[in-house]
Amino acid sequence: MHELEEVGNPDPDPLPARSPVPPSIVDGEEHAVDPRSVRVARLVGIPTILIIAMLPMIFITIGWALGGIPNMVYLPLLGGLLSILALALSFTYLWTAARHRHLRYRVDESGLRIRRGVFWRKVILIPTSRVQHTDVSQGPVQRSFELATLTVHTAGTEGASISLAGLEHATATRLCDHLQPDRGTDAD
Amino acid sequence: MQTEPRRLHRWSWLFISAGSVRALIFPAIGAVLASGGVLLTRLDLLSLIFIVPALVYAFVKQRVYSYRFTESELVVRDGLLTRNVRHIPYERIHNVALVRNPIHRLLGVTSARIETAAGGKPEASLRVLSMEAAEELRRYTLGEVEKTAETDSPTTAPADTPLLQVPDRELVRLGLISNRGFIVIAAVLGASSQFQWWDEDWIQDQDWLAFYESARAKAPAWVGWLTESGTLAFGVLLTVVLILLFLVLLRLFSIAWYVVRYHGFTLRRKGEDLRAEYGLLTHVSSLIPIHRVQLVTVSATFLHRWFGRASIDLETAGTSEAGSELSGQLAASGVATTRQWLTPIIEAGRVGELLRKVLPDIDLEAVEWKPIEARAVGRIVKRVAIVVVPVTIGVTAILTFGPIPLSGWHGLWLPLVTLTTTWLIARAWVRRAGYALTDRAIFFRSGWLGRQISAVRFVNMQTVSMRQSPFDRRRRMASVAVDTAGAGKIGHRIQIPFLDVEVAEAILLRLYDETCSTEFRW
Repeated sequence: MHELEEVGNPDPDPLPARSPVPPSIVDGEEHAVDPRSVRVARLVGIPTILIIAMLPMIFITIGWALGGIPNMVYLPLLGGLLSILALALSFTYLWTAARHRHLRYRVDESGLRIRRGVFWRKVILIPTSRVQHTDVSQGPVQRSFELATLTVHTAGTEGASISLAGLEHATATRLCDHLQPDRGTDAD
Repeated sequence: MQTEPRRLHRWSWLFISAGSVRALIFPAIGAVLASGGVLLTRLDLLSLIFIVPALVYAFVKQRVYSYRFTESELVVRDGLLTRNVRHIPYERIHNVALVRNPIHRLLGVTSARIETAAGGKPEASLRVLSMEAAEELRRYTLGEVEKTAETDSPTTAPADTPLLQVPDRELVRLGLISNRGFIVIAAVLGASSQFQWWDEDWIQDQDWLAFYESARAKAPAWVGWLTESGTLAFGVLLTVVLILLFLVLLRLFSIAWYVVRYHGFTLRRKGEDLRAEYGLLTHVSSLIPIHRVQLVTVSATFLHRWFGRASIDLETAGTSEAGSELSGQLAASGVATTRQWLTPIIEAGRVGELLRKVLPDIDLEAVEWKPIEARAVGRIVKRVAIVVVPVTIGVTAILTFGPIPLSGWHGLWLPLVTLTTTWLIARAWVRRAGYALTDRAIFFRSGWLGRQISAVRFVNMQTVSMRQSPFDRRRRMASVAVDTAGAGKIGHRIQIPFLDVEVAEAILLRLYDETCSTEFRW
């Protein structure tokens, strides 16, 4: 079918013939990543914070139970730690959502554009012609949501690997294929 | 096509063992110290422990090490117990750097390092080869066989005229410009601290006053007025003379360092690439892979500009250049960088011409500089003011309420002076900073007293990005940066700050289009 189209239509527009991705992704429109990625980020981030915060609390509690730390010190200390924990938790809760709100990607025939950053904003443009290879990875939490992280590698230095987390796994795979250079020349 | 295995030169053991002895110096010093110095009296034991193994290792290495050339790759065999065969395709070889110190030259040999895009340490280090073997190695690996075969002598003959030669008087000038004297002094101090040739107790026990008195007594009459001890003038004069002497010495060292190291610096065209040759004692001949250049920087410090000179350095992907000035400096700190000099010094007027010859895409004379936003001056001054204002308040408070008998108003000198200077410098900086886009490359220049211009060909751009800090957003500004392969941590690069956001977006899209329409090749 593609051959027929190419024979009958010498239009140089390469989009329908070359792209392995349905035009719905390579549309030059800005997309947000899957909203469930916020939940994934929270499910990963919140336990991490809890574990980090629990350790000092456990230690001072042991000290208190053994009589090393008087009540006068223990209670305010515990209160302080708990309030810091509460702050950190709410910050993570809000920050993951904010980060998601400000994360956009756009794919066109020539490459990928990622826009991110809540306060310090950054737009990064990755031309397909500069992509060395691409990876799709899935953490355990991501897997249960059928989400994935797309990582694009270039020969650059600062932008040597650029990841885009929270894509639907199928989308990530298709993007991966789309961005993968199929130039036969660079076998090395 | 496959050649017979080649062996290292018969003097190789000397250089291999010298290399390992050098590596063993610190353990040896440690051993001597640990034995309380006793080992020094037993040099036979010391050499048995440290030198004999090095010699044995060197002889074994010389026997087992071999290499041969096939159609498309260099095959290096190494190892006695674990045999190691390494295949290095010619096309991946960026450079074969030949390094010769006086001993190499005495024996008519050279050491060769094979450098590839992998970066960091050389892929293979052939220590040592005869000059003929080194030539053969270069012929095979750098594909100079076909080139000389294809293009006959008429085209190669004019290509062999040097592109650039740096005469010694330029190196003297470079010595005056740069602060290399400190390196020599640091090296001397470092070496002397290793050996502890002085005795600290002796220094402390000496009666320096008596020494001084006796020296004064012996001094001839005409310096007598100088030695009228205790006068303030004498002290000041002595200090000034000593400082001047030190500075002169520093510059002399610096000049000597440059002349010794870069004597006879010559750039020659070598096929697509260039070859730099230099060195008085250690002769270095290294290939500059022009087609692997990712970034070019022309820089001129204040002193360079005073003398009407500039230097050009190149960032090539992956290779660590043997004998390269800049990488050598950083190798000590563990950072593998890839900057190397195209030339350490050149007349400012010839920069454009040389660059055009070497990299036709980068034509400095054809660029039309566009300015960054003049509004940036205000932002820079504001940044400084954020620091200066609280300090001023503090100083004023101390002057007003503290014990110093000065009016609080004197505290205002601080912001007056700092903010005006900042404003003047910022204005000069912003006026000077600029960018330019030609149809092949992007340029960025900046600097106030010292000035730098960097250029990246579109082919070498990897990703392009635009950043906005919250302050940028408030003033509708943005910065644009270009990422290249093998970008080091230091040095000037394409990072254009303080652009109007719409201008920045336009540049971003233009760069993106240019990147998409070109193909990057290593």
